[in-house]
Amino acid sequence: MSETALSVAPAATPAKSSRLNARFYDTFLPRLVVGVFILTLWEVVVRLLAPAYVAKPSTVAMAIPKVIVDPAFLKATGVTLAAVAEGLAVALVLGTVIGLVMGRSAALERAIRHYVNGFYAIPMIVVLPLFSLWFGYSGATRIATIIFAAVFSIIINVADGARAVPRDYLEVARSFRSNRINVLFGIVLPSSMPYLLAGIRLAAGRALIGAVVAEFFISVGGLGYFILYNSRTYHHNEAFVGVLLLAAFGVGFEMLVAWVTRRFLPWYRRDEKAG
Amino acid sequence: MPYTYLRRHAPFWISILVGILLWEIAGRSTSTAFMVPFSETIRTLWHLIKSGEFIRQLMESAKLFLSGFVLALIVGMPLGMLLARVRVLRVGIEPYVMILYATPMVALIPFILSLMGFGFAPKVLVVFLFAVFPVLYNTVEGARSIKPEMIEVAKSFRSSEWSLWREVMVPYTLPYTMTGVRQSIGRALVGMIAAEFFLSSTGLGQLIMTASQNFDTGGVFASIFVIGLIGVGLMRLGLKIEQHFAHWRQ
Repeated sequence: MSETALSVAPAATPAKSSRLNARFYDTFLPRLVVGVFILTLWEVVVRLLAPAYVAKPSTVAMAIPKVIVDPAFLKATGVTLAAVAEGLAVALVLGTVIGLVMGRSAALERAIRHYVNGFYAIPMIVVLPLFSLWFGYSGATRIATIIFAAVFSIIINVADGARAVPRDYLEVARSFRSNRINVLFGIVLPSSMPYLLAGIRLAAGRALIGAVVAEFFISVGGLGYFILYNSRTYHHNEAFVGVLLLAAFGVGFEMLVAWVTRRFLPWYRRDEKAG
Repeated sequence: MPYTYLRRHAPFWISILVGILLWEIAGRSTSTAFMVPFSETIRTLWHLIKSGEFIRQLMESAKLFLSGFVLALIVGMPLGMLLARVRVLRVGIEPYVMILYATPMVALIPFILSLMGFGFAPKVLVVFLFAVFPVLYNTVEGARSIKPEMIEVAKSFRSSEWSLWREVMVPYTLPYTMTGVRQSIGRALVGMIAAEFFLSSTGLGQLIMTASQNFDTGGVFASIFVIGLIGVGLMRLGLKIEQHFAHWRQ
């Protein structure tokens, strides 16, 4: 594509602008139309059918500038994000170590595989009553829930990655008499990086859900509690700003992981579809 | 035959037995308010089953799960297929589906509560919202993987709209849809428990809540144990379904 553009340099500008035009009509316009349609439908339905306190696009938009400078909101966001980051960090270290060992040791894999899969399959929120019994109605329960929500998807993915390390790499390492720890962290870990990233992507989403659910359940301060409290006191517009922020975190993290994969692991193409 | 069976499955059973043993020891050496041994958990569970309470709550939860999940399939699959066929619609809707797929749906529960109250319908809506986006997202993803040439070839052989769907669209997107179905099963289960916790308390969620409010650790363990088993069972079922269709793709 670029080579043909170079060879017909004088014609490049109109060609480029028509390509941009095509892109506009092809993707941007339908997206804009659908977006406007969704917002209009929402606005009209709420205006006609719902009580005045129910969130609708116009009032949510008006609430945004007020909410994002509200110290209570900023504090709640900070607290929740810090908890998610802390829980994710613990889950990441724990999950990577367990996953690497599990992926490279057949005995350990047989011993704990069913437990890892089993705990992963448990809907994470059922442990909340138990955790609140154990850790009390405090931030500790939230951290524990986040770790529980996040760690198993990291273990499973890292173990898959460790199992998929090309045999040649390991044989070369062995013939150079590399020790086990070096092999694990020098070869197996870098080689299973894409899997680790896929695990983190899953884990981050689950951690966010875990944090919000824990705040709902034990009423400890944070973004989830901000949403709960404001919706209970009929401040739906303010509460919905919190939901928008959560959605932004969810999408933002997906994009961040996708970007990291493209930028630092360009040799890895599993996610990309042909055509 | 029994020997090979034993050899293949021995590690599994040994690891399960060791796990139960560890659980029993840990339970016996700590306070019962903190943790309950395996034997006690099973005994509590047996009492719950015998009293009929457990079966009643299980049925209640199953009704909620199936209503929400089936609704998600009924909406998600045809909509996904339609998006697969009508390109401009797909391009337009795709980013919004992606955003909703990544949004933690639990955050919407307080709104649903204050708008719809404590009936059965709001809970079905919660399960539906948890379950529908994986189906939709993966179906659209599958639609993107269909090469345009396939459809062009079908068209140049004067294939009718009906046979285009039957021969190209459905076979190519269904395996992806089934990946979505597997994810949806897990999410619908989370949605079910979340609805039972935060909306009107019924079913297995209520079983846990009541036990935990009475500081009945045995009851909490028994309910979590059962929900865990159900989770594992449903996950296996989901994997089976996905693999069946993935195999059929080749």
